[in-house]
Amino acid sequence: MALQSSTALARRPQSFTQNWSAYAFLTPALIILFLSLLLPAAATVVMSLTDISFLRPTNFVWFDNYIKLVSDSRFRQAVGNTAYYTVGVTLPTMALGLLAAVALNGKLRGRIVFRTIFYLPVLTSLIAAAVVWMYVYEPYSGPINGTLTQLGLPPQPWLQSPNLAMTSLIVMAIWRDFGTAMIIYLAGLQDIPKDIYEAARLDGAKTKDIFFRITVPMLSNVTFYLMIILIVQTFQVFGAIYVMTNGGPLGSTETIVFQMYQTAFGYTEFGYAAAMSTVLFLAILLFSIIGTKLMRRGES
Amino acid sequence: MSDIAQTAAPAVPTVSFQQRWWPVAERAIGYGLLIFAALATITPFLWMVSTSFKTDAETFQFPPNFIPNSLVWQNYIDAIAGPDTGRQLINSLVFALGSTASNMVFCALAGYALARMQFKGKNLIFALVVGLLMVPAQSQIVPVFLIVQRIPFAGGNDWLGNGGTGLLNTYWGMILPTAATPFGIFMMRQFFSRIPIEYEESARLDGAKTFTIFWRILLPLARPAMAVLGVLSFQSAWNDFIWPLILTSQREMATLQIGLQLLQSGPDARWNVVMAMATLITLPVIVVFLFAQRYVIDGAVTSGVKG
Repeated sequence: MALQSSTALARRPQSFTQNWSAYAFLTPALIILFLSLLLPAAATVVMSLTDISFLRPTNFVWFDNYIKLVSDSRFRQAVGNTAYYTVGVTLPTMALGLLAAVALNGKLRGRIVFRTIFYLPVLTSLIAAAVVWMYVYEPYSGPINGTLTQLGLPPQPWLQSPNLAMTSLIVMAIWRDFGTAMIIYLAGLQDIPKDIYEAARLDGAKTKDIFFRITVPMLSNVTFYLMIILIVQTFQVFGAIYVMTNGGPLGSTETIVFQMYQTAFGYTEFGYAAAMSTVLFLAILLFSIIGTKLMRRGES
Repeated sequence: MSDIAQTAAPAVPTVSFQQRWWPVAERAIGYGLLIFAALATITPFLWMVSTSFKTDAETFQFPPNFIPNSLVWQNYIDAIAGPDTGRQLINSLVFALGSTASNMVFCALAGYALARMQFKGKNLIFALVVGLLMVPAQSQIVPVFLIVQRIPFAGGNDWLGNGGTGLLNTYWGMILPTAATPFGIFMMRQFFSRIPIEYEESARLDGAKTFTIFWRILLPLARPAMAVLGVLSFQSAWNDFIWPLILTSQREMATLQIGLQLLQSGPDARWNVVMAMATLITLPVIVVFLFAQRYVIDGAVTSGVKG
C-alpha cells in the first residue's frame, strides 16, 4: 500500500543536475544500515558455511550445517512450533483488527476512547506485557485460575503444561498485536469511496452483505500487506518465549529464533545458528515474494 | 424475530417493526461487543495496577482480590529504591534518547535526499532501503553482535577488530545499530515528497544553499513527521529488550526492561513490586502516546507501517 503511493508520485520533467551534497546527506544513514542490516545479512550467509565458535579456530564446512539442520529433530519441532504460533496469531489478529476497525470507522460515540484502549497493548513493552501475563496465567494466585475456581471450574496450568503453553502465548500475542491490525485497517477503510456504501444502502443492502460484499473485497490489498507484516513479525517470536517459558515445558514453545539464540549464545555455535537464521530469512523472503505476487495478480 | 415483526407491524404503518428497531438492536449489540472487547483488552493492565498496590500477603491470596484492601505505595518506593534502578533508568534514557535523536537526524537527511535531490545511484539506493525493510531484524542479532564486537580501534580492538570487546557494553554499541532504520528513512522520504516543490524553488532563486533550504524551510514543515518518527523511535528503543540483553553482560549497563526481567525472575521476586515496576515502565510511553496520539496514529496510518 505504502509502496504503491511512492511509485505513483509523478516525477517532474527536469534537467538532470548532479547534486553532490546528496551523498553527504545519505552517508550517515547508509553506514548505519550497512552495519546493522546489510553486512549482518551477508555475514549470516557466510557464517552459515563455517563452524565459527568461541570453542575452536574457524573452518569452512560448506553445507554441513544445513545437512545437520535437516536431520535435527529439535529444529524440526521448532519449525512446527513456529508455524503453529504464526498461524495461531496472524489469523485471529487480522479478524479482530478488521472488526474493530469497521466498528470504529464511523461516527460512533466514544470511538477515540475505544481506539486508544485497543492500541494500549501495542505501546506496552514486551517485558512489561510478559510479566503482567505471567501473573494473569499464574496457576496458584493468578486471576484467570481465581475466576475459574470461583465459577466452579478446574484451574489450569497455563504456561506449565506442554499442551497449553503455546496457546497461552498465542492469546497474549493476539492481545498485543490486534491494535496494529486495527490501525492499518482503519487507514485502508479511509480509502474506500463513501458513495459505494451510500449506493448499497439505497439498494437496501444489509449490514452483513455490505461487510462481506464491499468492505472485505475492497480491503484485500491491505489484508495481504498486513498478513505479510504479521507473518514476518510472528515468525521471529523470541522475547515473550525467553521471558515466559524459556522454550519449555518439554520444548513445546521452542521457536526458530529462540533455538537460534540458544545455539549462538548458549552453546556459542555461531555457524549453526547462522544456518538457522538463513533458513528463517529464506522462508520470510519466500512469503514476501508469494504475497507480493498474489497481491499484484489480485490488482490486475 | 420474524413473527414478532408481523404482530407488531400494524402499530407503525409505514415502517415495519424490524426496519425500525433492527438498527437500534444492531447498535446495542455492537456497543455491547465493543465494551466487552475493551474490557478484555484493558483487564491485564487493571490487574497490573491492582496488584502493584497489594501487601505481600494479599498477593498470595487465592482467588485474588481485584480491588486491593489498601493502597500500599511502599511497593513503588521499593521498586524505585532497588540497588540498580537509578543506573538502569539512566541507561534506558541514554539509549532511548540517543536512538531517537540519531534517527530524527539521519532519517530526515537521507529521506530528504531521496525525495528531492538528483544524484547518480538514487534509484538503486532507494530500492536498497525498501529491500532492507523486509530483512527480518530479529534474526540478525547474532551477526550484529559479532560486528559490534569487532568494530576496529574500539574497546581494545586492533585495526582488524580483533583482541578487544569492541563496543560491547557501551552506549555507542547500543545506539549504533538502531541509529537509523529503513522504516524511518522511507517514512521521511514519503513525507518530503508530498511538500510542494515551490517552497524550495523560490528559496533557490533567492540563492539559498541546499543545506540551508533543508534546515530553514523543509525541516520546519516536516514537524509532524518528525514527531511521529521521534515517538516511534523512542518507543521502540525504550521498550527494546533483546538487543540490550545480548549486547550488555555487565550489570551496570542493563536497561530498565532488563531490570524488570531480573526483578521478576529473581529468587525473592514479589509480585506487588514487580507490578509496580511494570506500571512505572509502561507509564512514560503511554503518556508520550496520549500527547502525540493524533500525529502518531495519522503517521502510522499514512505510512502504513506498525508503530
